[in-house]
Amino acid sequence: MSGYVEGILVLLAINVVFAYGAFLPIAAGQLNLGIAGFAAIGGYVSAFLSNNAAVPVPVAILVGGLAAAMVALAVAVPVLRTRGIYLALATFALGEIVRAAILNIELVGGAAGYPVVAFIRFPTIAAFAAGVAVVVWLLFATRFGIAITAVHDDERVADLMGLNVRAFQVAAFALGAGFAGIGGGLYAHHFSYVEAQYFGITLSISIVLFVLFGGTQSVLGPLLGATVFTLLPELLRGSAQWRYVFFASIVIVVMVLRPQGLVTGVQMPRLFRDHRERARTGRAA
Amino acid sequence: MLIYFQQIVNGLMLGSIYAMVAVALTLGMGILRFLNFSIPGLFMIGGMLTWALVRDAVPWPLAAGAALLMAAVASLVVELFTWRWMRKADEFVPLVSSMAFLILFENLAVAYWGSDLQSLPQLFAGADWRVAGLVISVPQVAGLILSIVLIAGLSLILRKTRLGRALRTIAEDADTALLLGIPIHRIVPSVFLISGIFAALSGVLFAVNYRQVHPFMGEALGLKGISAMVVGGMGNIWGAIAGGLIIGCAEVMSIDLFGADFVDISVYGLLLLILMVRPTGLFGAPAGARA
Amino acid sequence: MNSTLPILALENVSKRFGGLHVVDDLSFSLSGGTCSALIGPNGAGKTTVFNLVTGVYSIDTGRVLLDGNDISSMPSRQRIYHGIARNFQNIRLMAHLSALENVLVGQHCRNSGWRGVLQPVNLVPRNRWREEARAALADAGLAQYERAAVGGLPYGLQKRIELVRALMAKPRLLLLDEPAAGLNPRETEELRERLAVVGRERGISMLVVEHDMNFVGALCAHVIVLNFGRRIAEGTPDRIRDDPLVREAYLGVQAEPRTLQSHAS
Repeated sequence: MSGYVEGILVLLAINVVFAYGAFLPIAAGQLNLGIAGFAAIGGYVSAFLSNNAAVPVPVAILVGGLAAAMVALAVAVPVLRTRGIYLALATFALGEIVRAAILNIELVGGAAGYPVVAFIRFPTIAAFAAGVAVVVWLLFATRFGIAITAVHDDERVADLMGLNVRAFQVAAFALGAGFAGIGGGLYAHHFSYVEAQYFGITLSISIVLFVLFGGTQSVLGPLLGATVFTLLPELLRGSAQWRYVFFASIVIVVMVLRPQGLVTGVQMPRLFRDHRERARTGRAA
Repeated sequence: MLIYFQQIVNGLMLGSIYAMVAVALTLGMGILRFLNFSIPGLFMIGGMLTWALVRDAVPWPLAAGAALLMAAVASLVVELFTWRWMRKADEFVPLVSSMAFLILFENLAVAYWGSDLQSLPQLFAGADWRVAGLVISVPQVAGLILSIVLIAGLSLILRKTRLGRALRTIAEDADTALLLGIPIHRIVPSVFLISGIFAALSGVLFAVNYRQVHPFMGEALGLKGISAMVVGGMGNIWGAIAGGLIIGCAEVMSIDLFGADFVDISVYGLLLLILMVRPTGLFGAPAGARA
Repeated sequence: MNSTLPILALENVSKRFGGLHVVDDLSFSLSGGTCSALIGPNGAGKTTVFNLVTGVYSIDTGRVLLDGNDISSMPSRQRIYHGIARNFQNIRLMAHLSALENVLVGQHCRNSGWRGVLQPVNLVPRNRWREEARAALADAGLAQYERAAVGGLPYGLQKRIELVRALMAKPRLLLLDEPAAGLNPRETEELRERLAVVGRERGISMLVVEHDMNFVGALCAHVIVLNFGRRIAEGTPDRIRDDPLVREAYLGVQAEPRTLQSHAS
């Protein structure tokens, strides 16, 4: 595989992981605009471990994800008391605080960034991406997925039906943060460098944009969003800026034409079709 | 002691810039319940276009005017794609589109001008007041006064004019406004226009006074405007001003007390605290832009 | 189950919003296994009573007793675990879930905890919970709509799905808020039959808010009439029909409450 193609696929895999990180809270009705901050936690923690503690890289990355999830868990309860736009802003503030805090930790390089010694290639990264995708798919094939969507659609009724709304929201938020942390760890160990500046609001916004663009009603959406975001600009061969211009323009247009995103329909594509009982009324548009 | 006052003065100057951005955001938030993430981008357009034109030997008042005009056009484009042509989907969608516009503006700026920090020449050489040992920059004071005048004017418009009444009705209940025959589709653009111009003017003032611009200045500064809006109270214009001044002072003091590294933590920490403890802000109104 | 205790009892329950007493010193009790109706003009406080019983609103004064146990301060989420289920005046199904998935939500209180949450209902084709939900839909004649997203279905179908969802919780007390509203006469009759069968076969107690007095008369043996948050009459449907206070409440002049049927046909 040529270096160029590998580079693209690596980016794709990392973006898929980030996408599922943003997808989970959105599926539960919350917007995590600080997702890049959790990616930063994962990146730095995993880099620190593999640099200093002779921890095998995959383990370090998982621990990084766990660290991000723990932080999310700690802040989720007070932060998730806010709602809607307030929540989006609170998560945004959180992300900026995490980034600013990391910039001040000299132990991991501060503003100069933190070099990472260990290096992982596409197969490892792809395995992680596949793992994350499979975990999300499986989760949404269980009552968890139905509960998350129920909480998203109608918190009051979900509560009356016996669902612990807060618990599901916190779980989605923390799990999503954990995936973002894994993505950060993958990034750190492939690009051999982490710097807090990269994990800012622009990254968070980009991730949220391609997740919403792909469609949040289905577990396939994030996959499609990440793919379009990563691959389409490659066809343009322009500079990085023009790719973002193009991507942003596409998102704007799609949001007008098809605000529910590209992939819609039922949440979980049926793995086992029972042809005798195909729904006649079909799927929603 | 004197240093303390000087810091307050500096904080107020910076704060007046945040206040304008906060007011721009508050208009959208209060009237349309819409957090317009493109506002930091319009702030940047105001600042960078002023720089670009001044660099090409355009006299700064003309440069500022052209920048404002460009921002006005941009804000109307934003309105089209985030509001007018929107069909109601998830409540996130207009917010998301406005974020996409921010990315669009920022990257267009990088594509045209590069991502470096750019400097403006000194436009008001030696125009400093020295009063009681304090140094007060005249252009900054002018900027502060201009901000206050404009915001007061806006407040008057909202309270006294037909347009203002229509806007306040829309803020209360858009459907009722429709029933009352208020031409929402003709009025909503004015909200975007006014907030866009406020944001861009703020950027112009920043460029002219602090003389440094770069494509991502909207993130560094415009997003603090969001903090200002929340701290002061969403939907309340005078609260937005108070919020802006508070954030400006907090920033300046925190640089002094803790060093520049902790500025962001202080400002966003304050934002987070307010959101969790008192989300309607210090002077907030839950609905409707109060004049 | 203690058959001498009423399944539901309200004792001097009051609820105020601002200065307005939406429910004012209300007391009544329902015997187990029966169907009672809660009627009254619009704004009488009927839906508020439902919201108080299910815990959506907190009670200002008084008590709500379930089987003699005070549940007044029980969190709303817990109440379905104690057997109280309801439907909603404006249908509130989860728009992004299919009909089957909405019904699966109804099962949640019987299948919660780690085991329940990770139950692979959408993965394993013969999962018993999924089969139970499918059977319930089939039983209600809705099998063909299993996979349909509920948002696009006609009103009458959505109402039926909502009922299946509520019944899936295997409640002991079912609160029905205008279950016949918007249904045509045939659908109304089918609903009445279904409720009668369900009540009989499963011993479910029901409290029904309705405007259709024929529906109420045929289904319920016990009627409570509210006006301005207060109980103004109580008894059998026939007795209520003749009660002058009731007539006055509805129209202010002599008129049969019977004529106040839903106009949706």
